[in-house]
Amino acid sequence: MRRDGMDSAFWNGIRTAGFGAASVAIFSIATTVVHAAANPEEGGKPEGGLPQLDVSAFPTQIFWLIISFALLYWIMSKMAVPRIAEVLEERQERITDDLETAERLKSEAEKVQADYEKALAEARSEAQGQIKAANDEAAAEQAKAEAEHAKKMARKVKTAETRIGKQRDEALESLMAVASEAAVEATGKLIGVTPGEDSVKRAVEAVSGDGRA
Amino acid sequence: MAGNASPTEGGFPSPVEQFHLLDIVKVNVGGLDLSFTTSAFYMMASAILVGTFLVQSMKGRHLVPTRLQSMAELSYEFIAGMVRDNVGSEGRPYFPFIFSLFMFILVGNLFGMLPFGHYTYTFTSQIIVTFAMASAVFIGVTVIALMKHGLHFFTFFFPAGAPLYMAPLLIPIEILSYLSRPVSLSVRLFANMMAGHTMMKVFGTFVVMLGVFGVAPMLVLVALTGFEILVAVLQAYVFTILTCIYLNDALHLH
Repeated sequence: MRRDGMDSAFWNGIRTAGFGAASVAIFSIATTVVHAAANPEEGGKPEGGLPQLDVSAFPTQIFWLIISFALLYWIMSKMAVPRIAEVLEERQERITDDLETAERLKSEAEKVQADYEKALAEARSEAQGQIKAANDEAAAEQAKAEAEHAKKMARKVKTAETRIGKQRDEALESLMAVASEAAVEATGKLIGVTPGEDSVKRAVEAVSGDGRA
Repeated sequence: MAGNASPTEGGFPSPVEQFHLLDIVKVNVGGLDLSFTTSAFYMMASAILVGTFLVQSMKGRHLVPTRLQSMAELSYEFIAGMVRDNVGSEGRPYFPFIFSLFMFILVGNLFGMLPFGHYTYTFTSQIIVTFAMASAVFIGVTVIALMKHGLHFFTFFFPAGAPLYMAPLLIPIEILSYLSRPVSLSVRLFANMMAGHTMMKVFGTFVVMLGVFGVAPMLVLVALTGFEILVAVLQAYVFTILTCIYLNDALHLH
Protein backbone atom coordinates (compact mmCIF):
# COMPACT_ATOMS: atom_id res chain seq x y z
CA MET A 1 0.00 0.00 0.00
CA ARG A 2 1.57 3.27 -1.06
CA ARG A 3 0.25 6.58 -0.02
CA ASP A 4 -0.42 8.78 -2.98
CA GLY A 5 0.76 12.28 -2.26
CA MET A 6 -1.85 14.43 -4.01
CA ASP A 7 -4.98 12.65 -2.88
CA SER A 8 -3.72 11.84 0.57
CA ALA A 9 -4.53 15.19 2.15
CA PHE A 10 -8.00 15.24 0.63
CA TRP A 11 -8.78 11.70 1.68
CA ASN A 12 -7.35 12.28 5.10
CA GLY A 13 -9.86 15.08 5.49
CA ILE A 14 -12.75 12.91 4.39
CA ARG A 15 -11.64 10.04 6.54
CA THR A 16 -11.19 12.13 9.62
CA ALA A 17 -14.52 13.82 8.99
CA GLY A 18 -16.30 10.50 8.54
CA PHE A 19 -14.73 8.88 11.53
CA GLY A 20 -15.17 11.93 13.71
CA ALA A 21 -18.78 12.39 12.67
CA ALA A 22 -19.48 8.76 13.41
CA SER A 23 -17.91 8.88 16.83
CA VAL A 24 -19.61 12.10 17.87
CA ALA A 25 -22.97 10.95 16.55
CA ILE A 26 -22.87 7.64 18.35
CA PHE A 27 -21.67 9.14 21.57
CA SER A 28 -24.33 11.82 21.62
CA ILE A 29 -27.10 9.39 20.65
CA ALA A 30 -26.00 6.94 23.28
CA THR A 31 -25.70 9.61 25.93
CA THR A 32 -29.22 10.89 25.35
CA VAL A 33 -30.56 7.34 25.32
CA VAL A 34 -28.78 6.62 28.56
CA HIS A 35 -30.04 9.77 30.20
CA ALA A 36 -33.59 8.96 29.16
CA ALA A 37 -33.29 5.39 30.32
CA ALA A 38 -31.52 6.23 33.57
CA ASN A 39 -34.28 8.64 34.58
CA PRO A 40 -36.37 6.11 36.44
CA GLU A 41 -33.50 5.94 38.93
CA GLU A 42 -32.69 2.36 39.95
CA GLY A 43 -35.42 0.75 37.90
CA GLY A 44 -33.19 0.92 34.82
CA LYS A 45 -31.32 -2.27 35.63
CA PRO A 46 -33.00 -5.37 34.30
CA GLU A 47 -32.21 -8.02 36.86
CA GLY A 48 -33.01 -11.14 34.90
CA GLY A 49 -32.27 -10.00 31.34
CA LEU A 50 -29.09 -10.02 29.34
CA PRO A 51 -26.33 -7.92 30.94
CA GLN A 52 -25.56 -6.57 27.46
CA LEU A 53 -28.91 -4.81 27.38
CA ASP A 54 -28.17 -2.92 30.57
CA VAL A 55 -28.32 0.61 29.24
CA SER A 56 -26.42 2.09 32.17
CA ALA A 57 -23.32 0.22 31.01
CA PHE A 58 -23.41 1.81 27.55
CA PRO A 59 -21.68 5.19 28.03
CA THR A 60 -18.57 3.78 29.66
CA GLN A 61 -18.13 1.19 26.93
CA ILE A 62 -18.62 3.68 24.13
CA PHE A 63 -16.28 6.09 25.86
CA TRP A 64 -13.52 3.54 26.30
CA LEU A 65 -14.11 2.10 22.85
CA ILE A 66 -13.51 5.51 21.31
CA ILE A 67 -10.43 6.10 23.47
CA SER A 68 -8.87 2.72 22.76
CA PHE A 69 -9.74 2.63 19.08
CA ALA A 70 -8.49 6.18 18.57
CA LEU A 71 -5.25 5.18 20.26
CA LEU A 72 -4.91 2.12 18.04
CA TYR A 73 -5.76 4.10 14.93
CA TRP A 74 -3.18 6.72 15.83
CA ILE A 75 -0.44 4.14 16.40
CA MET A 76 -1.47 2.35 13.23
CA SER A 77 -1.55 5.33 10.88
CA LYS A 78 1.44 7.18 12.35
CA MET A 79 3.83 4.35 13.09
CA ALA A 80 2.89 0.79 12.24
CA VAL A 81 1.52 1.08 8.70
CA PRO A 82 4.20 3.45 7.31
CA ARG A 83 6.91 1.33 8.84
CA ILE A 84 5.61 -1.97 7.49
CA ALA A 85 4.93 -0.40 4.10
CA GLU A 86 8.46 0.97 4.02
CA VAL A 87 10.04 -2.35 4.90
CA LEU A 88 7.94 -4.22 2.34
CA GLU A 89 8.73 -1.66 -0.33
CA GLU A 90 12.43 -1.81 0.48
CA ARG A 91 12.36 -5.58 0.19
CA GLN A 92 10.50 -5.41 -3.10
CA GLU A 93 13.04 -2.95 -4.44
CA ARG A 94 15.90 -5.11 -3.26
CA ILE A 95 14.39 -8.17 -4.93
CA THR A 96 13.87 -6.26 -8.16
CA ASP A 97 17.45 -4.96 -8.00
CA ASP A 98 18.82 -8.42 -7.36
CA LEU A 99 16.83 -9.85 -10.23
CA GLU A 100 18.14 -7.14 -12.52
CA THR A 101 21.71 -7.77 -11.42
CA ALA A 102 21.25 -11.48 -11.97
CA GLU A 103 19.84 -10.80 -15.42
CA ARG A 104 22.77 -8.54 -16.28
CA LEU A 105 25.33 -11.04 -15.01
CA LYS A 106 23.63 -13.80 -16.94
CA SER A 107 23.77 -11.86 -20.19
CA GLU A 108 27.38 -10.98 -19.48
CA ALA A 109 28.22 -14.61 -18.88
CA GLU A 110 26.47 -15.51 -22.10
CA LYS A 111 28.49 -12.93 -23.96
CA VAL A 112 31.73 -14.25 -22.48
CA GLN A 113 30.71 -17.76 -23.44
CA ALA A 114 29.94 -16.67 -26.99
CA ASP A 115 33.28 -14.85 -27.22
CA TYR A 116 35.09 -17.88 -25.94
CA GLU A 117 33.38 -20.14 -28.43
CA LYS A 118 34.14 -17.76 -31.24
CA ALA A 119 37.80 -17.58 -30.23
CA LEU A 120 37.91 -21.33 -29.99
CA ALA A 121 36.43 -21.74 -33.46
CA GLU A 122 38.89 -19.19 -34.86
CA ALA A 123 41.82 -20.93 -33.26
CA ARG A 124 40.63 -24.24 -34.58
CA SER A 125 40.26 -23.00 -38.15
CA GLU A 126 43.63 -21.28 -37.93
CA ALA A 127 45.26 -24.44 -36.69
CA GLN A 128 43.64 -26.37 -39.47
CA GLY A 129 44.92 -23.85 -41.99
CA GLN A 130 48.43 -24.17 -40.59
CA ILE A 131 48.24 -27.92 -40.67
CA LYS A 132 47.10 -27.82 -44.25
CA ALA A 133 49.83 -25.39 -45.22
CA ALA A 134 52.46 -27.55 -43.55
CA ASN A 135 51.10 -30.60 -45.29
CA ASP A 136 51.13 -28.85 -48.65
CA GLU A 137 54.64 -27.65 -48.13
CA ALA A 138 55.84 -31.05 -47.12
CA ALA A 139 54.11 -32.61 -50.12
CA ALA A 140 55.62 -30.04 -52.46
CA GLU A 141 59.07 -30.59 -51.03
CA GLN A 142 58.68 -34.27 -51.33
CA ALA A 143 57.51 -33.97 -54.92
CA LYS A 144 60.44 -31.75 -55.73
CA ALA A 145 62.90 -34.09 -54.05
CA GLU A 146 61.37 -37.01 -55.88
CA ALA A 147 61.57 -35.22 -59.21
CA GLU A 148 65.22 -34.30 -58.63
CA HIS A 149 66.04 -37.76 -57.59
CA ALA A 150 64.32 -39.16 -60.65
CA LYS A 151 66.25 -36.78 -62.86
CA LYS A 152 69.52 -37.72 -61.24
CA MET A 153 68.73 -41.37 -61.59
CA ALA A 154 67.77 -40.89 -65.22
CA ARG A 155 71.05 -39.13 -65.86
CA LYS A 156 72.99 -41.87 -64.18
CA VAL A 157 71.09 -44.49 -66.17
CA LYS A 158 71.82 -42.61 -69.33
CA THR A 159 75.56 -42.27 -68.66
CA ALA A 160 75.66 -45.91 -67.71
CA GLU A 161 73.82 -46.82 -70.88
CA THR A 162 76.14 -44.75 -73.09
CA ARG A 163 79.13 -46.24 -71.35
CA ILE A 164 77.78 -49.71 -71.83
CA GLY A 165 76.95 -48.94 -75.48
CA LYS A 166 80.47 -47.59 -76.08
CA GLN A 167 82.07 -50.56 -74.41
CA ARG A 168 79.92 -52.89 -76.40
CA ASP A 169 80.87 -51.09 -79.65
CA GLU A 170 84.47 -51.19 -78.66
CA ALA A 171 84.16 -54.85 -77.81
CA LEU A 172 82.44 -55.50 -81.09
CA GLU A 173 85.05 -53.57 -83.01
CA SER A 174 87.89 -55.37 -81.31
CA LEU A 175 86.02 -58.59 -81.88
CA MET A 176 85.79 -57.80 -85.56
CA ALA A 177 89.43 -56.92 -85.70
CA VAL A 178 90.28 -60.17 -84.00
CA ALA A 179 87.89 -61.98 -86.31
CA SER A 180 89.42 -60.29 -89.39
CA GLU A 181 92.93 -61.16 -88.27
CA ALA A 182 91.85 -64.68 -87.52
CA ALA A 183 90.12 -64.86 -90.87
CA VAL A 184 93.22 -63.51 -92.68
CA GLU A 185 95.50 -65.95 -90.95
CA ALA A 186 93.10 -68.79 -91.44
CA THR A 187 92.74 -67.98 -95.11
CA GLY A 188 96.54 -67.65 -95.45
CA LYS A 189 97.06 -70.98 -93.81
CA LEU A 190 94.33 -72.68 -95.70
CA ILE A 191 94.83 -71.37 -99.15
CA GLY A 192 98.03 -69.42 -98.88
CA VAL A 193 96.42 -66.33 -100.11
CA THR A 194 96.30 -63.18 -98.08
CA PRO A 195 93.03 -61.53 -98.84
CA GLY A 196 92.67 -57.80 -99.01
CA GLU A 197 91.79 -56.01 -95.94
CA ASP A 198 88.55 -54.64 -97.31
CA SER A 199 87.16 -57.91 -98.46
CA VAL A 200 87.98 -59.49 -95.12
CA LYS A 201 86.27 -56.76 -93.33
CA ARG A 202 83.16 -57.04 -95.44
CA ALA A 203 83.05 -60.76 -95.01
CA VAL A 204 83.43 -60.51 -91.24
CA GLU A 205 80.78 -57.87 -91.09
CA ALA A 206 78.39 -59.98 -93.14
CA VAL A 207 79.04 -62.99 -90.97
CA SER A 208 78.86 -61.06 -87.73
CA GLY A 209 75.64 -59.48 -88.93
CA ASP A 210 74.28 -62.97 -89.60
CA GLY A 211 75.68 -64.30 -86.41
CA ARG A 212 74.16 -61.54 -84.44
CA ALA A 213 70.77 -62.03 -85.93
CA MET B 1 -24.23 -3.13 35.83
CA ALA B 2 -21.16 -4.15 37.76
CA GLY B 3 -21.38 -5.85 41.08
CA ASN B 4 -24.94 -6.98 40.46
CA ALA B 5 -26.06 -9.97 42.41
CA SER B 6 -26.56 -12.29 39.50
CA PRO B 7 -29.49 -14.66 39.32
CA THR B 8 -28.54 -18.23 39.97
CA GLU B 9 -30.14 -21.46 38.91
CA GLY B 10 -29.82 -24.42 41.26
CA GLY B 11 -26.66 -23.11 42.85
CA PHE B 12 -24.94 -22.49 39.53
CA PRO B 13 -24.57 -19.02 38.07
CA SER B 14 -26.58 -18.24 34.97
CA PRO B 15 -24.58 -18.78 31.75
CA VAL B 16 -25.08 -15.13 30.83
CA GLU B 17 -23.73 -13.99 34.18
CA GLN B 18 -20.28 -13.88 32.56
CA PHE B 19 -21.31 -10.84 30.54
CA HIS B 20 -21.62 -8.66 33.63
CA LEU B 21 -19.07 -5.94 33.76
CA LEU B 22 -16.79 -5.48 36.73
CA ASP B 23 -15.59 -2.01 37.64
CA ILE B 24 -11.86 -1.65 37.93
CA VAL B 25 -11.77 2.10 38.50
CA LYS B 26 -14.97 3.97 39.14
CA VAL B 27 -15.22 7.15 37.05
CA ASN B 28 -18.19 9.49 37.15
CA VAL B 29 -18.30 12.53 34.92
CA GLY B 30 -21.25 14.82 35.51
CA GLY B 31 -23.55 12.01 36.53
CA LEU B 32 -22.41 9.87 33.59
CA ASP B 33 -20.85 6.57 34.59
CA LEU B 34 -17.58 6.23 32.65
CA SER B 35 -16.02 3.62 34.92
CA PHE B 36 -13.00 1.72 33.69
CA THR B 37 -14.48 -1.74 33.52
CA THR B 38 -13.20 -5.16 32.48
CA SER B 39 -14.56 -4.41 29.00
CA ALA B 40 -12.64 -1.14 28.88
CA PHE B 41 -9.55 -2.91 30.17
CA TYR B 42 -9.62 -5.43 27.32
CA MET B 43 -10.32 -2.74 24.73
CA MET B 44 -7.27 -0.82 25.89
CA ALA B 45 -5.31 -4.05 26.15
CA SER B 46 -6.22 -4.96 22.56
CA ALA B 47 -5.26 -1.53 21.26
CA ILE B 48 -1.99 -1.51 23.17
CA LEU B 49 -1.12 -5.13 22.32
CA VAL B 50 -1.79 -4.67 18.61
CA GLY B 51 0.03 -1.34 18.51
CA THR B 52 3.01 -2.61 20.45
CA PHE B 53 3.19 -5.82 18.47
CA LEU B 54 3.11 -4.09 15.09
CA VAL B 55 5.57 -1.38 16.07
CA GLN B 56 7.99 -3.50 18.06
CA SER B 57 8.11 -6.43 15.66
CA MET B 58 9.03 -4.06 12.82
CA LYS B 59 11.70 -2.30 14.84
CA GLY B 60 14.51 -4.31 13.27
CA ARG B 61 13.31 -3.55 9.71
CA HIS B 62 14.96 -6.80 8.71
CA LEU B 63 15.28 -7.52 5.06
CA VAL B 64 14.75 -11.15 5.90
CA PRO B 65 11.98 -10.94 8.52
CA THR B 66 12.21 -12.45 11.96
CA ARG B 67 9.27 -14.56 13.17
CA LEU B 68 7.46 -11.65 14.80
CA GLN B 69 8.15 -9.34 11.90
CA SER B 70 6.86 -12.02 9.56
CA MET B 71 3.63 -12.20 11.56
CA ALA B 72 3.18 -8.45 11.41
CA GLU B 73 3.89 -8.42 7.67
CA LEU B 74 1.54 -11.32 7.02
CA SER B 75 -1.34 -9.63 8.83
CA TYR B 76 -0.57 -6.40 6.99
CA GLU B 77 -0.51 -8.11 3.62
CA PHE B 78 -3.66 -10.08 4.42
CA ILE B 79 -5.68 -6.90 5.03
CA ALA B 80 -3.87 -5.00 2.27
CA GLY B 81 -4.90 -7.76 -0.15
CA MET B 82 -8.45 -7.66 1.15
CA VAL B 83 -8.69 -3.91 0.64
CA ARG B 84 -7.06 -4.14 -2.79
CA ASP B 85 -9.41 -6.90 -3.95
CA ASN B 86 -12.62 -5.47 -2.54
CA VAL B 87 -12.14 -1.73 -2.77
CA GLY B 88 -9.32 -1.23 -5.26
CA SER B 89 -6.65 1.43 -5.21
CA GLU B 90 -9.11 4.06 -3.96
CA GLY B 91 -9.30 2.17 -0.70
CA ARG B 92 -5.69 2.94 0.21
CA PRO B 93 -6.39 5.95 2.42
CA TYR B 94 -8.77 3.86 4.53
CA PHE B 95 -6.35 0.99 4.94
CA PRO B 96 -5.08 2.04 8.41
CA PHE B 97 -8.68 2.21 9.64
CA ILE B 98 -9.61 -1.20 8.24
CA PHE B 99 -6.41 -2.78 9.46
CA SER B 100 -7.02 -1.30 12.93
CA LEU B 101 -10.59 -2.57 12.88
CA PHE B 102 -9.55 -6.09 11.97
CA MET B 103 -6.73 -6.34 14.49
CA PHE B 104 -8.85 -4.75 17.23
CA ILE B 105 -11.76 -7.16 16.77
CA LEU B 106 -9.48 -10.16 16.23
CA VAL B 107 -7.47 -9.57 19.38
CA GLY B 108 -10.63 -8.67 21.34
CA ASN B 109 -12.28 -11.93 20.28
CA LEU B 110 -9.19 -13.95 21.10
CA PHE B 111 -8.78 -12.25 24.49
CA GLY B 112 -12.20 -13.70 25.26
CA MET B 113 -10.69 -17.17 25.00
CA LEU B 114 -8.30 -16.59 27.90
CA PRO B 115 -9.32 -18.89 30.77
CA PHE B 116 -9.22 -16.30 33.58
CA GLY B 117 -12.81 -16.59 34.79
CA HIS B 118 -14.28 -13.22 35.66
CA TYR B 119 -11.10 -11.45 34.70
CA THR B 120 -11.56 -12.42 31.08
CA TYR B 121 -13.95 -10.29 29.15
CA THR B 122 -14.96 -10.41 25.50
CA PHE B 123 -15.85 -6.84 24.66
CA THR B 124 -17.18 -7.95 21.27
CA SER B 125 -19.94 -9.81 23.11
CA GLN B 126 -21.35 -6.41 24.06
CA ILE B 127 -23.97 -5.26 21.57
CA ILE B 128 -23.22 -1.63 22.30
CA VAL B 129 -19.55 -2.08 21.36
CA THR B 130 -20.23 -3.91 18.13
CA PHE B 131 -23.08 -1.52 17.33
CA ALA B 132 -20.85 1.49 17.92
CA MET B 133 -18.20 0.05 15.60
CA ALA B 134 -20.78 -0.90 12.96
CA SER B 135 -22.37 2.55 13.21
CA ALA B 136 -19.00 4.22 12.87
CA VAL B 137 -18.42 2.21 9.70
CA PHE B 138 -21.95 2.91 8.45
CA ILE B 139 -21.90 6.64 9.13
CA GLY B 140 -18.32 7.00 7.93
CA VAL B 141 -19.08 5.16 4.71
CA THR B 142 -22.23 7.22 4.10
CA VAL B 143 -20.33 10.48 4.70
CA ILE B 144 -17.62 9.34 2.28
CA ALA B 145 -20.22 8.46 -0.34
CA LEU B 146 -22.01 11.82 0.07
CA MET B 147 -18.77 13.78 -0.13
CA LYS B 148 -17.58 11.86 -3.17
CA HIS B 149 -20.79 11.68 -5.17
CA GLY B 150 -22.96 14.43 -3.68
CA LEU B 151 -26.64 14.00 -4.43
CA HIS B 152 -25.73 11.41 -7.04
CA PHE B 153 -25.30 9.09 -4.07
CA PHE B 154 -29.09 8.63 -3.89
CA THR B 155 -29.12 6.81 -7.23
CA PHE B 156 -27.63 4.01 -5.13
CA PHE B 157 -31.14 3.23 -3.94
CA PHE B 158 -32.47 2.67 -7.44
CA PRO B 159 -30.54 0.01 -9.36
CA ALA B 160 -29.61 1.21 -12.82
CA GLY B 161 -31.59 -0.46 -15.60
CA ALA B 162 -34.60 -1.35 -13.47
CA PRO B 163 -37.96 -0.33 -14.99
CA LEU B 164 -39.27 2.94 -13.62
CA TYR B 165 -42.57 1.53 -12.44
CA MET B 166 -40.65 -0.70 -10.05
CA ALA B 167 -39.36 2.36 -8.20
CA PRO B 168 -42.09 2.45 -5.51
CA LEU B 169 -41.17 -1.11 -4.58
CA LEU B 170 -37.42 -1.08 -5.12
CA ILE B 171 -36.51 2.19 -3.43
CA PRO B 172 -38.01 1.33 -0.02
CA ILE B 173 -36.39 -2.11 -0.16
CA GLU B 174 -33.01 -0.65 -1.04
CA ILE B 175 -33.27 2.00 1.68
CA LEU B 176 -34.31 -0.59 4.23
CA SER B 177 -31.48 -2.90 3.28
CA TYR B 178 -29.04 -0.01 3.46
CA LEU B 179 -30.27 1.05 6.88
CA SER B 180 -30.15 -2.49 8.21
CA ARG B 181 -26.44 -2.73 7.45
CA PRO B 182 -25.19 -1.50 10.84
CA VAL B 183 -27.71 -3.73 12.58
CA SER B 184 -26.73 -6.88 10.73
CA LEU B 185 -23.04 -6.03 10.97
CA SER B 186 -23.16 -5.49 14.74
CA VAL B 187 -25.61 -8.25 15.62
CA ARG B 188 -23.64 -10.82 13.62
CA LEU B 189 -20.48 -10.26 15.65
CA PHE B 190 -22.25 -9.76 18.97
CA ALA B 191 -24.52 -12.81 18.60
CA ASN B 192 -21.68 -15.07 17.49
CA MET B 193 -19.49 -14.12 20.40
CA MET B 194 -22.27 -14.22 22.97
CA ALA B 195 -23.68 -17.53 21.74
CA GLY B 196 -20.27 -19.16 21.70
CA HIS B 197 -19.38 -18.02 25.19
CA THR B 198 -22.80 -18.96 26.55
CA MET B 199 -22.47 -22.44 25.06
CA MET B 200 -19.08 -22.86 26.62
CA LYS B 201 -20.41 -21.76 29.98
CA VAL B 202 -23.36 -24.14 29.70
CA PHE B 203 -21.14 -27.08 28.91
CA GLY B 204 -18.72 -26.01 31.63
CA THR B 205 -21.61 -26.10 34.10
CA PHE B 206 -22.53 -29.58 32.87
CA VAL B 207 -19.00 -30.79 33.50
CA VAL B 208 -19.18 -29.66 37.12
CA MET B 209 -22.77 -30.88 37.62
CA LEU B 210 -22.25 -34.40 36.25
CA GLY B 211 -19.19 -35.19 38.32
CA VAL B 212 -17.44 -38.26 36.88
CA PHE B 213 -19.78 -38.33 33.89
CA GLY B 214 -18.68 -34.79 33.16
CA VAL B 215 -16.06 -36.30 30.86
CA ALA B 216 -18.59 -36.35 28.01
CA PRO B 217 -19.44 -32.62 28.10
CA MET B 218 -15.75 -32.02 28.76
CA LEU B 219 -14.90 -33.51 25.36
CA VAL B 220 -17.59 -31.37 23.79
CA LEU B 221 -16.11 -28.39 25.57
CA VAL B 222 -12.68 -29.10 24.12
CA ALA B 223 -14.15 -29.21 20.63
CA LEU B 224 -16.18 -26.07 21.34
CA THR B 225 -13.07 -24.22 22.45
CA GLY B 226 -11.37 -24.99 19.17
CA PHE B 227 -14.51 -23.99 17.32
CA GLU B 228 -14.73 -20.74 19.29
CA ILE B 229 -11.19 -19.81 18.30
CA LEU B 230 -12.18 -20.39 14.69
CA VAL B 231 -15.28 -18.23 15.16
CA ALA B 232 -13.21 -15.51 16.82
CA VAL B 233 -10.95 -15.28 13.76
CA LEU B 234 -13.73 -15.77 11.25
CA GLN B 235 -16.00 -13.09 12.69
CA ALA B 236 -13.18 -10.56 12.74
CA TYR B 237 -12.61 -11.41 9.08
CA VAL B 238 -16.34 -11.15 8.24
CA PHE B 239 -16.70 -7.78 9.97
CA THR B 240 -13.68 -6.45 8.10
CA ILE B 241 -14.59 -7.76 4.69
CA LEU B 242 -18.14 -6.39 4.99
CA THR B 243 -16.65 -3.04 5.91
CA CYS B 244 -14.56 -3.27 2.73
CA ILE B 245 -17.65 -4.10 0.67
CA TYR B 246 -19.60 -1.18 2.12
CA LEU B 247 -16.65 1.10 1.47
CA ASN B 248 -16.48 -0.15 -2.11
CA ASP B 249 -20.20 0.61 -2.54
CA ALA B 250 -19.64 4.10 -1.17
CA LEU B 251 -16.71 4.79 -3.50
CA HIS B 252 -18.10 3.20 -6.66
CA LEU B 253 -21.90 3.16 -6.13
CA HIS B 254 -22.57 -0.43 -7.28
